Amino acid sequence: MIGKGLLKGLGITLKHGVEKPKTIQYPEQRPYLQERFRGCLEFDYKNCIVCGMCTKACPNNVLSFETAPIEGSKKKRLVSYTIDLQYCMFCNLCVEACPTNTLFFVHDFELSTYRRDEIKKVYIPPALTQVDAGGGQAELIPQDALEPDREAEAEAKRLKQLQAMKTALSKGGQKVLAKYVDTEEDAAVLANLLQADEKKRDKMAALIVDDKEKARKVAQAFVAKERKTQAGGEEK
Amino acid sequence: MEHLFTNIAQILTSWMVSLGLPPIWADLILLIGQWTIIVVIVTLNVIVLVWLERKISGFIQERLGPNRLGPFGAFQTIADAMKLLTKEDIIPSQADRWIFMTAPMLFIVIAVMLYAVLPLGQGMEVVDLNVGLFYFISLGSLSTICLLMAGWGSNNKWSLLGAMRSVAQMISYEIPLAFSLLGVVMLAGSLNLSEIVTAQNRYWFILLQPVAFLTYFIAATAELNRGPFDMPEAEQELTAGAYTEYTGMRWALFFLAEYTNLVAVSALAATLFFGGGQGPWLPSWLWIIIKTYLIMLVFMWMKWTFPRIRMDHLMSFSWKVLIPVSLANILITGLGIEFFRGMGW
Ligand code: SF4
Ligand code: SF4
Repeated sequence: MIGKGLLKGLGITLKHGVEKPKTIQYPEQRPYLQERFRGCLEFDYKNCIVCGMCTKACPNNVLSFETAPIEGSKKKRLVSYTIDLQYCMFCNLCVEACPTNTLFFVHDFELSTYRRDEIKKVYIPPALTQVDAGGGQAELIPQDALEPDREAEAEAKRLKQLQAMKTALSKGGQKVLAKYVDTEEDAAVLANLLQADEKKRDKMAALIVDDKEKARKVAQAFVAKERKTQAGGEEK
Repeated sequence: MEHLFTNIAQILTSWMVSLGLPPIWADLILLIGQWTIIVVIVTLNVIVLVWLERKISGFIQERLGPNRLGPFGAFQTIADAMKLLTKEDIIPSQADRWIFMTAPMLFIVIAVMLYAVLPLGQGMEVVDLNVGLFYFISLGSLSTICLLMAGWGSNNKWSLLGAMRSVAQMISYEIPLAFSLLGVVMLAGSLNLSEIVTAQNRYWFILLQPVAFLTYFIAATAELNRGPFDMPEAEQELTAGAYTEYTGMRWALFFLAEYTNLVAVSALAATLFFGGGQGPWLPSWLWIIIKTYLIMLVFMWMKWTFPRIRMDHLMSFSWKVLIPVSLANILITGLGIEFFRGMGW
């Protein structure tokens, strides 16, 4: 029949006409991205073993890095790693080549920038520190890996001091206290007071460890008060 | 409701006569008034139509269409019209100035003049012309000249090519268009559009003249330069053909005229084949609007479905298929009328 094709065509457009539009209104509605969607290429310096497989794999020379030798070791350390995204075609070859999963794609696909050099991503690992890895081997660890340990050490040290101070005060400790009051007499009064009152003793110990200036003031206040109560008791 | 507008007109005339105006003046003023209203409605209607067309094309392509400005993007075309109105009016230095400038104006004037005879409801034509259909067809073919003027005046070979194409196409399709309407005229026995409507009291002519309707519809699509017969514009090949050099409001006039023609042709189809304003419950002027819009929807649907056909196919389709078919239709209609008359119906 003549016109059968035309009618079929009209039928198809009618069918699509009543279907739900496929449009995603992008800035407001975000597209659903599959798990392996290749957005921006990212680099995680902590895993990089500076093997250079990625640069060899990349067909577009997107990737490059600078290295420096490590003293006392045959290994190199990473100084900077550059991903020049403007040439990347998101072919995934570098990701496949990398033995340590250092390179990976994230879902961020809004990569446009105002300047050409802004699209170049340079990763500079934080300054490295040499630590002894045992067996005469030196190993490099990023500085920020050490930071949290130091804090913990300081905290531990403080706790130790505090404990020591507490034991000293509970056993008298006139000599220690003499630094915070004016006379030997006062020190003796304070020592007696602190020996009797555990709360005040703990407070004093903490203050001596943390803040000497404040400790002095509090100590003198304690002495003055103690003197007063003693004097009041004698009058009665 | 049925006589709402005719009553208003009557009241206005009698009011003007009572003011001491001679009846002929009152009629003239009323005519001008009706005319202005038609022009305004037609122009505003284009805004709706453009929006509709964009929405429909969007839905057919599973897009959303305009949807940012106003509810469902309804104000988008108004914004576009504003943009076109405020655009710079460029006239190419080598253009034939006068022809270039008058072409769009003539085009829109002709397009609006088509409405003079269309019965927009019972007793609601501006002029009740006894050769209404003839007037409509002859005026419709005038727009060819405007396109040729635009193409020639632009002094640009692509424009001229587009104009030549449209002239060839429109003249070729004018013939089947007129022939297909002849069948209806023979049945109704009149060229007066309101009489043709009255003649459809019992049956709509689409039932008696389906072939004529088909040929009319196809020929009208070609006359309107709409897809799949939009060779003269052919944005992808000729960069809008005769309209290439036009900017701003002049271009918008062409655009306006094309949509105005679309409405006119659809209204004519509704009048000739679908019983005009006849229909149950609703007033006649509402019926004709509904029918016209439905026919226009089909026009749009077709445009966004079919691919553009080749120029030579286009011409041979008209001369080798449409004209013989419409001629045969006239013959069969004549024979049928004679036959039934002989039977004494
Ligand atoms: S995805 Fe392909 S082009 Fe991009 S950096 Fe990796 S290997 Fe090079
Ligand atoms: S392949 Fe991976 S581990 Fe090797 S240099 Fe490249 S990013 Fe680093």
